[in-house]
Amino acid sequence: MSPPDSISEGDFQRLFATEAEGRLDTLVDELLELEKGGANPELVASLFREAHTIKGGAAVVGMTHVARVAHALEDLLEEVRRDRRGVDAALIDAVLAGVDAIRTLIPLAVAGQDHEQAAFDAEQRLRIAVGGPPVAGETAPAPEPPAAPPVLEAPLPPPVSAAPPAVAAASPDAPGGRTAGPEGSRGPEPASAEPPAAGDHATGEHAAGEAAAVHVEPVRASTTEMVQMPVHRIDDLVRLIGEASAATLRLGSALLERLQRDPSTVTEYRDLVRSLNELQELALHARMIPVMSLAPRLRRAVRDLARETEKEVRFETRGEDAEIDRGVLERLADPLLHLVRNAVDHGIETPNERRLRGKPIEGLIRLHAMQLGSEVVIAVSDDGRGIDVDRVREAAGRTDSSAMEMDDEAALYLIFRSGLSTATKITGVSGRGVGLDAVRASLNAVRGRIEVRSDPGVGTEFRIAVPITMATLRCLVVGAGGQAYAIPLHSVRAVLPPQPSATVGGRTMTMVDGRPVPISSLARVLGTGNGSEGPAVVVAGLTRSHAFRVDDLVDQRDVVVKGLGELVPRLPAVAGAGVQPDGSILLVLEAAGLIERARRMDSGDRSAEAADGGAPEAPVPRQAASILVVDDALTVRELQRSIFENAGYRVKVASDGEEALTKISEERPDLVLTDVQMPRMDGFQLTEAIRGQASLASLPVIILTSRGSDEDRRRGLECGADGYIVKSGFDQAALLHAVERLLGAER
Amino acid sequence: MATATAPGVGAGQLALLIPVGSDTYALPLETVREVVVEPRVTELPTSPTVVRGVFNVRGDIVPLLDTAQLLGLRAVLEKPYAVLVETAHGIAGLVATEMPQTVRLSESVGQSDMEGTTETYLVGDARLAVALDVEALLSPARISR
Repeated sequence: MSPPDSISEGDFQRLFATEAEGRLDTLVDELLELEKGGANPELVASLFREAHTIKGGAAVVGMTHVARVAHALEDLLEEVRRDRRGVDAALIDAVLAGVDAIRTLIPLAVAGQDHEQAAFDAEQRLRIAVGGPPVAGETAPAPEPPAAPPVLEAPLPPPVSAAPPAVAAASPDAPGGRTAGPEGSRGPEPASAEPPAAGDHATGEHAAGEAAAVHVEPVRASTTEMVQMPVHRIDDLVRLIGEASAATLRLGSALLERLQRDPSTVTEYRDLVRSLNELQELALHARMIPVMSLAPRLRRAVRDLARETEKEVRFETRGEDAEIDRGVLERLADPLLHLVRNAVDHGIETPNERRLRGKPIEGLIRLHAMQLGSEVVIAVSDDGRGIDVDRVREAAGRTDSSAMEMDDEAALYLIFRSGLSTATKITGVSGRGVGLDAVRASLNAVRGRIEVRSDPGVGTEFRIAVPITMATLRCLVVGAGGQAYAIPLHSVRAVLPPQPSATVGGRTMTMVDGRPVPISSLARVLGTGNGSEGPAVVVAGLTRSHAFRVDDLVDQRDVVVKGLGELVPRLPAVAGAGVQPDGSILLVLEAAGLIERARRMDSGDRSAEAADGGAPEAPVPRQAASILVVDDALTVRELQRSIFENAGYRVKVASDGEEALTKISEERPDLVLTDVQMPRMDGFQLTEAIRGQASLASLPVIILTSRGSDEDRRRGLECGADGYIVKSGFDQAALLHAVERLLGAER
Repeated sequence: MATATAPGVGAGQLALLIPVGSDTYALPLETVREVVVEPRVTELPTSPTVVRGVFNVRGDIVPLLDTAQLLGLRAVLEKPYAVLVETAHGIAGLVATEMPQTVRLSESVGQSDMEGTTETYLVGDARLAVALDVEALLSPARISR
């Protein structure tokens, strides 16, 4: 960095370098805009001005070689400004290459290193581009067919977001030595007779897009407040926090055992637990990336296949804020790609067919991502012809006679069956190697599930639900009946020293936080042993808690949970298993299934001892309770429906406030759960309307929203809501708990 | 229907003989991936008893199935060998009580009427081996019943 001449000149050079950096950024931005939007005289004028200013500045600080390149750039843009040269991929390519060259030359000039040859090469390439195809010669450049792709492609390489490795790696554009910078565009034939010729369009576009991705991003990264770090460092962080949580659990036990203090009454302990939980959440968040970082690749697939099949398709995305673990998203790339391609290939009709059916000529494929509790739901929907269930049935019926008797719902799911290779014949389009059974299999690997809904003539929706994180499931490892089991930590409510228990109404109960909770022996519930006298783990499922006696607490571990394969029947009490470092297999238990099993065994025991006269249980008040779910997003509605129906509620749905009021007047529900943002009448207005009717004054209303601002919360409570739950922060258990509490209070 | 497509055992073909208790079964060699000696099995509580547990094969979690019980016979208690077979539904291990061996089959001596099996072959001097129909035998429906 030794300044070659006077100190002041070096200072000026560095000042210029900084200034040029900003101007080059602007230049690239505007250039990409130009590529996207077609010819725009104002943009071209601005581009020209930037190049001109850079040229002047370089000359002033004595960077003559840089000035020469900038001059050539200016001349090239001048041609465009004067309508002597059209805006095409080759031009964009050439200007980007010029910008890259200047970027590389300036530091060399500041450092006093030789850069004459590099500058000369760059200048030559720009001069060649000036003489490029005079696209603007007779016709307007924009509507020319080969110029159309850039419009579509421009948004492809997302210049701001950090694309996940899977996307980058799978991108079809092979890196063409572009990053080298000064070497410029097409390596070995610098002054070849046919510079960016017409036939070169396609590659030119790719190169341009790629250049944008490669060169814009690093600059952004340095100027915004971002750091990049290897994923394993975050994993280490998560692991350490896990260990800290385990130590905290032990601390809690020690408080109780040695000092007879219930840890939940110790403020300091609660603070510690809370901070650790927050820390854990933050660390897990660091691994998250937006689901929509996959969108460019899917958009591209839609566009390519639509062109290939001569269909007109618009690709829309919703749910830009939904995030998911990077590892999970990588595994979703292929299934989603498959679904999107299916939608174009099998779903969307030809323009002619659509016209005949009175549909808009342009088909719509929508990708909608949303976080719900600990899952991300991704829907791929199209407004195409739907799935012909009869033909699915027929195809499957050739090998499986039972298919013919299935109802439509069941028959629809035959499309996921392996070996239903005929699925491709259903719509008469050639197969693509992977079937929907492969999609389902890859989802199994990330503990995801897939659902499908189809309306003949109206469209199809595939819905994928996957856990937000897969990489590591933090588990508490316990011993029971001579074997170790992992219990996911998120379902562990407390760990208690050996507990006294009492039989209440034929059930064995213990007190947890002053409330009675049923207690069983884990080994006994699993059928691997008898009662144990060890500590108790209080586990919470979706709706209820249960304490399990274990032999001992082993430790806390991160387990990569895998499925048990298709051959093993689904076991409700087992979530999966992880391979341990020593090669052994650790089973991971599923809280809800475990509790269900324990309860069934318990009631089995009781009916066996029916002599007691079958002590009446506290009646479960929610059995008959009905809930009205109001949300304009179909996916949210249906998910909430399934959550509540599984918990034993009756569920009705409405898609906005007005519809909700109608439904309420028809039959008064026991509780209303509403979204905020909805067409016609939003959630706040709905709540106010409910509160405005004397007969509904006591109807509990919960507002469920993705907006977590204090202002919204205040407004929600002001207009009379009984609860306000922020979607991103809610888990199913919390939601059910809130509902149960409100219903309990009302009755 | 699966029998039609599944690679069958036949005279002159190589087969793996799987001793299970006092019986011997034969599998077409091409359906067998490998034989694991003394698999380290983790029991799988709440599963049907035919699933003897799961074990780790190079990072994959593979169920170990009781061969005799799959055929509707009484379960064998020991599990010193696991024969890894590939099925349409993934890889599974079948219990063998002695080290399996490869033989070339001679002519079939007759049909086997046991469900999930095809033909009976004479192996060695006086031993009979019943050929297994892997696809029919290793279906999720059969295992979960």
